[in-house]
Amino acid sequence: MSHLIVPRLTKGFGCLSLLALGLVSQALAQGPAVAYPPYGSAIPVITNNEHRSGAVNEDAQKMPAPNGPNEESIWNMKVEGFNDNQARPIYQPLIVNQNGREIMYNGNLSGTAKNPLTGVSESNGTSIIDVTNVKKPKFLFHIPGPDPINGSFAAAGAQMVRVCPGSTMPNAAANGIVGKFFLLRAFGNAGANESHQIWDVTEPSAPKFLTTIISGLSNTHKSWWECDTGIAYLVAGAVSDGWQQSGSKQHVYVYDLSNPAKPTFIRQFGLPGQQPTAAVATQQPCLNAPSDTCFEGTTNPPGGVHGPISMGTVVNRVYMPYGVGASGVIQIVDRQKLVNGCKTSGPGSNPNASANCQNSPTQADLLWPQVSWVTMNPENGGHSSMPVFNVPIPEEQSNFVDGTPQSKSLLFVASEGTANNCFGQAPHDAWILDIANEQTPWPMATLSVPQFPGNFCGKGARFGAHAVTEAIYPPYYGKIISVSWFNAGVRIWDVRDPKNPKPIAYYIQAPNSNTAASCSTINGATNCFNATMNDYVEYDDRGFIYAVDRAGSGVTILSLTGEARKAILPQSEQ
Amino acid sequence: MRNQLLGSCAGLALCLLGSSAARSEDGWSAAVPPPRTDTISAAKLAQVKPGSSTKKEVQSLLGAPWRILQFNDCGMSMPGQADETWDYRGRNAKGSYRVHIEFDDHDVASLVAKIPDRATGNKGTRAKIAPGEMKMAMKM
Repeated sequence: MSHLIVPRLTKGFGCLSLLALGLVSQALAQGPAVAYPPYGSAIPVITNNEHRSGAVNEDAQKMPAPNGPNEESIWNMKVEGFNDNQARPIYQPLIVNQNGREIMYNGNLSGTAKNPLTGVSESNGTSIIDVTNVKKPKFLFHIPGPDPINGSFAAAGAQMVRVCPGSTMPNAAANGIVGKFFLLRAFGNAGANESHQIWDVTEPSAPKFLTTIISGLSNTHKSWWECDTGIAYLVAGAVSDGWQQSGSKQHVYVYDLSNPAKPTFIRQFGLPGQQPTAAVATQQPCLNAPSDTCFEGTTNPPGGVHGPISMGTVVNRVYMPYGVGASGVIQIVDRQKLVNGCKTSGPGSNPNASANCQNSPTQADLLWPQVSWVTMNPENGGHSSMPVFNVPIPEEQSNFVDGTPQSKSLLFVASEGTANNCFGQAPHDAWILDIANEQTPWPMATLSVPQFPGNFCGKGARFGAHAVTEAIYPPYYGKIISVSWFNAGVRIWDVRDPKNPKPIAYYIQAPNSNTAASCSTINGATNCFNATMNDYVEYDDRGFIYAVDRAGSGVTILSLTGEARKAILPQSEQ
Repeated sequence: MRNQLLGSCAGLALCLLGSSAARSEDGWSAAVPPPRTDTISAAKLAQVKPGSSTKKEVQSLLGAPWRILQFNDCGMSMPGQADETWDYRGRNAKGSYRVHIEFDDHDVASLVAKIPDRATGNKGTRAKIAPGEMKMAMKM
């Protein structure tokens, strides 16, 4: 089960280079096989490799200006490979080690394109690409998405993907899933009959449909699946379920998918103020007018959840961003109380759970697992909330508190920029929150990308943050953070001194002949621009970095070089 | 110093060209590169009128599109990005290009543009829009 082993090393470096970089010793030092979320519940230990003065007064590398709007721009990164993804626009990528093969799953936005493997035009669904050899990625299969409804693709697409090995699931042998791999995907975006599905992708070039978990949905979005427990947090909404949200009409359906062929529903969950019985017409903000029917955040009812991230059974927390790009709320939830909170006995259970807790909970049912929540500036929303635990604070390795080395747990939050040419919106950034005291999250730093140089608001398409990388690759964990920034590309910060994060690498893909144009009317003239939009950036377990393009320009596989590479090395080897 | 800089720039350019070449060999699907000859009749394209041409009429004139895109996300129509887009590929003496047609909720063309794959500068390519149509009207 190689997806459980210590991180492997980026190919493309000779052995001598690797030794010189010190990565071999670092990898070997990781010890026996461990599995990090979502594959397991272990959390990497972060070793301080920063000088005790941190990044303060450090000679920061000057970030170079990007090239022209139609050219590739790259800093402290190297392009290793590329695949065009059949010209389909990608929302979310995931790279999974399947018994030594590195398999990339791409959830695609809506539309249609010809599949060269079948010769047929297929509705955009899930792309499966073998990226074992990053120099020559091989497109294996495209699982089509929903067909258009009455000729319209507005409800189609299959944007979200999660993959779990069967072997790590509880009762795997009894359920006959040892050695198998399963894909969880959204089927449809927003329409009359969306669903979440499971496919058997043990042989990724010949996926087999297994089951529909839930259908009749009006919305789907970014789910999370714990591979060691089978618990899945499906983002969904149905007109018939009665839940109430502003903006994206979605909340969380919790399922037990430990036997993927037989999904078991656990409960629905969302922010107070979203439940079916919430008195939306009269309820007041919980902050100033707490009652048994109030709403959290600044919008009534609160905006839909975007994508929960569970840190598993050990940390016992789920991080939920609401609002996507406006009126955001970040909620920290006790995982055990979330999963078991509608039971009246057992760990995490709520003795006072209401009779309708599973589908139509009371506000008290929703508050039972809530640890805390943060109301964001209404100009920004919760798109991503990715925690990193116990990051050593370089300046605080002595003297402070009791004199012992101090660390902080952090939450990386991003708000999605949704407008082309920045028009009509405030800037959308990412932030580092200090969650050492999780009852009182507190801002620590802002991760922003300057509009100039680059004139990003004028080059077409969107400019602003989108998503924080979710893959846990220990050499990067707590040292660098990657955020997709649409037309400003992949953006990477050195966060070893999280009070003073430093931009350290970027990659902006050049538009190609598959890049979908973005059209805008500016000063009375309507023009179309060729601009790439990095939608997500993810890692594999070798440290390769995958930039996927929302505008249909494909997948670019990258590695770190220069100062960005040094940032992940032990201090003695920098 | 200047020569060193030029040398570095030239080296970087060669590297970038090299990586682009490698990508074009390894990462592209066989069926999707731009056509070698023009597949779009200028006369037929001229008959596609923003504000009046329907999907059915466009398909009748230009055939099935090479690609359809629809950027709905989170169940929300993002401002100026919600229209279904049909892309066609073509080639003329200046190189390959795409015809980009956006349709409104009533399946009527709202925007038509002929966009070079290798546009230069950042002014964009002028598009034809339906009378009264504005795509995120803004001032900069």
